[in-house]
Amino acid sequence: MESKKGNKKVLLGAVALVAVAAILAIVYMAFREKPVEGSKAITIEVTGKSGATQSYELKTDAQYLRQAMEEADGLVFSGTESEYGMMVDTVNGDLADYDADGAYWSFYVNGEYCNYGIDTQPVEDGDVFGIVYTVGAAE
Amino acid sequence: MGLTGDKVRKDRERAESRTREAGKGRSGQESRFMDIMDKEKREKKLTIQDIALMGVMVAVIEACKAAMAFLPNIELTSFWIIMFTLLFRWRILFVIPVFILVEGAVYGFGLWWVMYLYAWPLLALAVYMCRERESVWFWSFLSAMFGFSFGFLCAFPYVAIGIADSGLRGGLYAGFTWWVAGIPFDIAHGIGNFALMTVLYKPVRLAMKRVTIEKS
Repeated sequence: MESKKGNKKVLLGAVALVAVAAILAIVYMAFREKPVEGSKAITIEVTGKSGATQSYELKTDAQYLRQAMEEADGLVFSGTESEYGMMVDTVNGDLADYDADGAYWSFYVNGEYCNYGIDTQPVEDGDVFGIVYTVGAAE
Repeated sequence: MGLTGDKVRKDRERAESRTREAGKGRSGQESRFMDIMDKEKREKKLTIQDIALMGVMVAVIEACKAAMAFLPNIELTSFWIIMFTLLFRWRILFVIPVFILVEGAVYGFGLWWVMYLYAWPLLALAVYMCRERESVWFWSFLSAMFGFSFGFLCAFPYVAIGIADSGLRGGLYAGFTWWVAGIPFDIAHGIGNFALMTVLYKPVRLAMKRVTIEKS
């Protein structure tokens, strides 16, 4: 009898966990920022180590920022691949070495800090992206 | 180490306590409860052994964290905080702040550090409230739920920043979008916590139950 009660509780717990995971998945699919296909006019502003800003205006069909950056004429970047996508460390020859001086590249979209990496940051028509050389503690 | 003599002393103390409680009209269950309360009261004096033990606990958490850093959101920190709270009780009150400080010293004091200040103590509190449970499935469930809710818990600083920047609505929107962006990682976190607790709970609890704290 005790064993049956215990099994029932375990089963209920398992069902609850699966339900929570399913709800989270549904919320994610419903509310995540969705990539927009089609021709989009965007601007990418790169502020380098010296503080000088270089602006790139382009029309792109890229769904995510990384593809848009690859299409921008004159914009050169590189980094290390990780499970979160590319971790950018060099833009236009400026290397941001976090271990050396706490420097890194910050990414902004329309003035707000990006919640996504460049491989998953959606691109929409009219977006203004900022790529800023930053020195300080990472968030 | 006089373990036999200590055991005899403790058994005698327990029997005397039960006699006193029976004389006051208390039941066996209440007596046992009072024994546990008295024992915990006695054990709250901080000893050098406690300090050393706390240092080892922090080291274990840090070492496991570093070893599993290559796996996104798969971590043993939740597991160890649960186990250490269950087995060493109030000592976790010192372990968690030291762990958080070490994390800040190693990785920098960013916004994520503010999240750590309340997320890990919340887990320890939840564990302490359920400390009498012994089922591996219960602890796996709790660990998984903590993993699933970690992103939600960590969104609050973004809400606060958003409120300061653009009012309540802006703050809630900022927190919500930040949370949604991290949901896939939260799902991985919950599943990882569940799997690790299911596999490790019984052997680790069995081994750690053999560690006894001798109080002078």
